[in-house]
Amino acid sequence: MKSIKETIAKVLFTAAAGISILAVALICIFLFASGLPAIGEIGVLDFLGGTTWRPAADQYGILPMIIGSVYATIGALIIGIPIGLFAAVYLSRFASPRVKRILTPGVELLAGIPSVIYGFFGLVVLVPLIREVFNVQGMSLLAASIILGIMILPTIITVARNAIDAVPDSYYEGALALGADHERSVFRVLVPAATSGIMAGVVLGVGRAIGETMAVVMIAGNQAVIPDSILDGVRTLTTNIVLEMGYAADLHREALIATAVVLFVFVLIINIVFAVLNGRSKR
Amino acid sequence: MIKAKKTKLLALALAAVCAFGMFALAGCSGGSSDSGSADSSSSESTTEGPSGAISVISREDGSGTRGAFTELFGVVDDNDVDLTTTSAVITNSTAVMMTTVAGDPNAIGYISLGSMDDSVKGVEIDGVAPSAEGVKDGSYKVSRPFNVVTGAEVSDLAQDFLNYIMSSDGQAIIEEEGYVSVSENGAYEPSSDSLSGTVSVAGSSSVTPVMEALADAYMAVNPDVTIEVNQSDSSTGVQNAIEGVCDLGMASRELKDSETSQGVSATVIAQDGIAIIVNNDNPISALTSDQVKEIFLGNVTDWSELA
Repeated sequence: MKSIKETIAKVLFTAAAGISILAVALICIFLFASGLPAIGEIGVLDFLGGTTWRPAADQYGILPMIIGSVYATIGALIIGIPIGLFAAVYLSRFASPRVKRILTPGVELLAGIPSVIYGFFGLVVLVPLIREVFNVQGMSLLAASIILGIMILPTIITVARNAIDAVPDSYYEGALALGADHERSVFRVLVPAATSGIMAGVVLGVGRAIGETMAVVMIAGNQAVIPDSILDGVRTLTTNIVLEMGYAADLHREALIATAVVLFVFVLIINIVFAVLNGRSKR
Repeated sequence: MIKAKKTKLLALALAAVCAFGMFALAGCSGGSSDSGSADSSSSESTTEGPSGAISVISREDGSGTRGAFTELFGVVDDNDVDLTTTSAVITNSTAVMMTTVAGDPNAIGYISLGSMDDSVKGVEIDGVAPSAEGVKDGSYKVSRPFNVVTGAEVSDLAQDFLNYIMSSDGQAIIEEEGYVSVSENGAYEPSSDSLSGTVSVAGSSSVTPVMEALADAYMAVNPDVTIEVNQSDSSTGVQNAIEGVCDLGMASRELKDSETSQGVSATVIAQDGIAIIVNNDNPISALTSDQVKEIFLGNVTDWSELA
């Protein structure tokens, strides 16, 4: 009797696990099967290294978008890492239980806000602000970086805080016993001990920033040119796809799927890095 | 002793917060006085003529509105390749386009005439203000067709709905919605007394609002018929019509050769004007089509060059 139940449960769980793997495999197959021929037709160098994106003229160079994605992600990290790390340290070792009770749900709420609302906030508040302060159009790499920086905060804070919490108390106590004060113990002992966990949070944040679409498309300007300054507009890989997918046909459509292949490879690399870091932090 | 120290720290923290608050307030009031001066300078410029770098706002490559706009204004080369300046900001919907232009005093963009409202200003082109009447009598030249796409076989019911759209009743609704009628057919007569069933319509988000109005009116006349309108985009609409997923597809652009070769044909149900829009504070209210072309080609980059 028991063995039948166990078999059923086993089959059920295996099937559930299998479905998610199947989904990933199918997406993989679809992307590469429809994207790679397009890359071949355009030419690998012309596609990855080309700086002109003019689908109407059959010019499909996505270098501006690759650089745009990288810039926006770096910008997000410059804003997100310091704030996120200090917030995590504060929540883990400095905040009183009462403050924690208010801040922790606040951070979680930040993660739950739909990205289109971040985008709308950026469009009606941040973009006009940048326009007034710098006397430029306003839709820019800067706007995208700030919004993305806020959006990756919950990821960084949660993962980094867990990593700091997980450092054994003996480390902290040992530091105190050696005469270090609270701040010194936290920043010189606990944070270094949690480095790989914190890095894992950062890498997850990178994944979120590079994949974000809806918020970015509303505030980044979306010019398919390599930006000269942080006040120039920028187009990322994701926004390139979402902007033009609806109307594209023929090779244009395939080129957009090929853009998704490039994005997919980026995300794959990020996930592998995350897995390696995570494995190291567990050890 | 320790308690006293804590109180002292608390007071210090409070003072810091207060100082920060004052600073933020000062910053805010500084900002508002800034915007005040910006306002006064823009009202000054009403008398002196416009100035400032032009923010060119465009739609995404492949958008039906953008395709029609670039073709009508000649923002293309000899092979009909879109030459819109690469420094143009790209917005992906009419709503974001309007929000952007409404908030940026130096912006210029374009939208469907049916979507115009008071938040932005439509400029006269070659001396003609954008209006449905202007499109109809041919004086306002900037317009494009709305197409309904049908596959090789059209069901009797779908054909009847199409007949309704092209009748004087259907065309009257199109005019009410701010678009331009194209057919001089007579009043609608049902092809049979007992019409019932479902017609599915799918495609362009530009055509969807007017199609929904048409569907409501048609269902009021034929209560046993259900018209389902699904909003997606022109390419999807055409694709659905090709595959037979829907009875009628909607497209806000001409069909491509690769699409017509798959056995679908298009019927023009309405004309839609394209309005060139600027910020309400922009003193310019009229442009020539050549000026619009040069702006979107990136050859004219400052409003003062147009004065």
